[in-house]
Amino acid sequence: MKKRIYCLLITALLLTIQLLHIPLSAQEGQTMVFIPAGSYLPLYSGNKTTKVPAFMIDRLPVTNADFGRFIADNPEWSRKNVKRLFADAGYLRHWKDDGTFAPGIAGSAVVNVSWFAARKYCECQGKRLPTTAEWERAAEAGRTRPDGRNEEGFYALILELISKPSFTHLPEAGTTLKNYYGVWDLIGVTWEWTWDFNSALSTGESRGNASLDNTLFCGGGSLQSGDTGNYAAFLRYAMRSSLKASNTVQSLGFRCAKDVAR
Amino acid sequence: MKKFLFFASLAAFIAIATACGRKSETGNCCKTAEAGQQPGSEISDQSIFLLESDWETYRNGRMTLADLSGKVTVGAMIFTHCPSACPRIVADIKNIESALSEDERKQVQFLLISMDPERDTPERMRQFAADHRLNDSWEMIRAGKDATMEIAQVLGVRIKPLDDGGFDHSNIIQILNREGEIAYQQQGLNVDPGECLKQIRLLLK
Repeated sequence: MKKRIYCLLITALLLTIQLLHIPLSAQEGQTMVFIPAGSYLPLYSGNKTTKVPAFMIDRLPVTNADFGRFIADNPEWSRKNVKRLFADAGYLRHWKDDGTFAPGIAGSAVVNVSWFAARKYCECQGKRLPTTAEWERAAEAGRTRPDGRNEEGFYALILELISKPSFTHLPEAGTTLKNYYGVWDLIGVTWEWTWDFNSALSTGESRGNASLDNTLFCGGGSLQSGDTGNYAAFLRYAMRSSLKASNTVQSLGFRCAKDVAR
Repeated sequence: MKKFLFFASLAAFIAIATACGRKSETGNCCKTAEAGQQPGSEISDQSIFLLESDWETYRNGRMTLADLSGKVTVGAMIFTHCPSACPRIVADIKNIESALSEDERKQVQFLLISMDPERDTPERMRQFAADHRLNDSWEMIRAGKDATMEIAQVLGVRIKPLDDGGFDHSNIIQILNREGEIAYQQQGLNVDPGECLKQIRLLLK
């Protein structure tokens, strides 16, 4: 009898170890997808593409529940404790209090987070924020093709998605648009932080710098863009050029990315 | 009874094992943020001294931003390969320097932060300092890519890398008070130093 108990205990022990180890790697495979090396055509690059090495990106935006766990582990990032240098007064203002939010939004993308908070979150997951080039490369994919430009009806769909009035309640992450790579909600739900969002310069910024294109948003500017059909890309560019890293916006969230292990 | 013991120990084991598993998942990167809150070092909520990055100076030294405390800092982000804007912004800061009285100058320091850490080696920065005749109250520093991005974001500097290795960037003269808070930012080049001087003198009072 005693022997049997020990046997059972050992089996349980082994099982638990297995359970603990397998999910960590398998989970990673499920929560992130691989985007192969390729190129992306930035706005205002004169049709010159940028090479983007292969990378991994989260399938889903970071949710309120995810961010709640981060704050439980890192209380210095709670609404009460966060340093003003790193987040403005609107930080997590849609939450009930320091650590709780309405249960209905647990699975929705977290918003009202600053760039600094987003960056720290990703760092604590062993990840990082995607670069603008990576983010845009992932978002270039249509539903069925890696390049949405060649997919019939995709640009019309983008227009439809972004012209909807903003959500009063953000939908559950992973329920709107899934693209070719299996990445959800890139278009039409929230905007998302990128690591180098501050590479989008607005005209007033660089007075006296002759090399800067100073016709960004008027008609002339849009004709110079490489991809005149992608209205959402214009909006993202405008959004990024208006942001500061400590800003919090109720339609701005994030997801994380990662280098591909070599 | 034995059965109960078995389940109890199994449950305890799983609980402990899961707790450990969770810990290893989050890693310990997050501990760094708390390191700055050592007792005794009361840093303001808006001070750039909260950044813990490690910087290399043009004199081959090392420093953290908190080392700037105690003096008013006049600074800018630049890069040494910069053809026109950066020499002009350095000239603008030198104009401010020369307008200060000797007594005021003792309480002010000047800081150039590289936005191009890959190419701005200490030697390269030393050459730049020599070319522009920067005296001892000037500091010029570089850090890794991540710390460079972080300070750019804190200072609200926009940086767009160009194909030729250069950058389009905002031209901002930053004035920090003795506690490391941004007190004033002057956008643009060739701006009359009057407003900067006024702000610096307010901080020196």
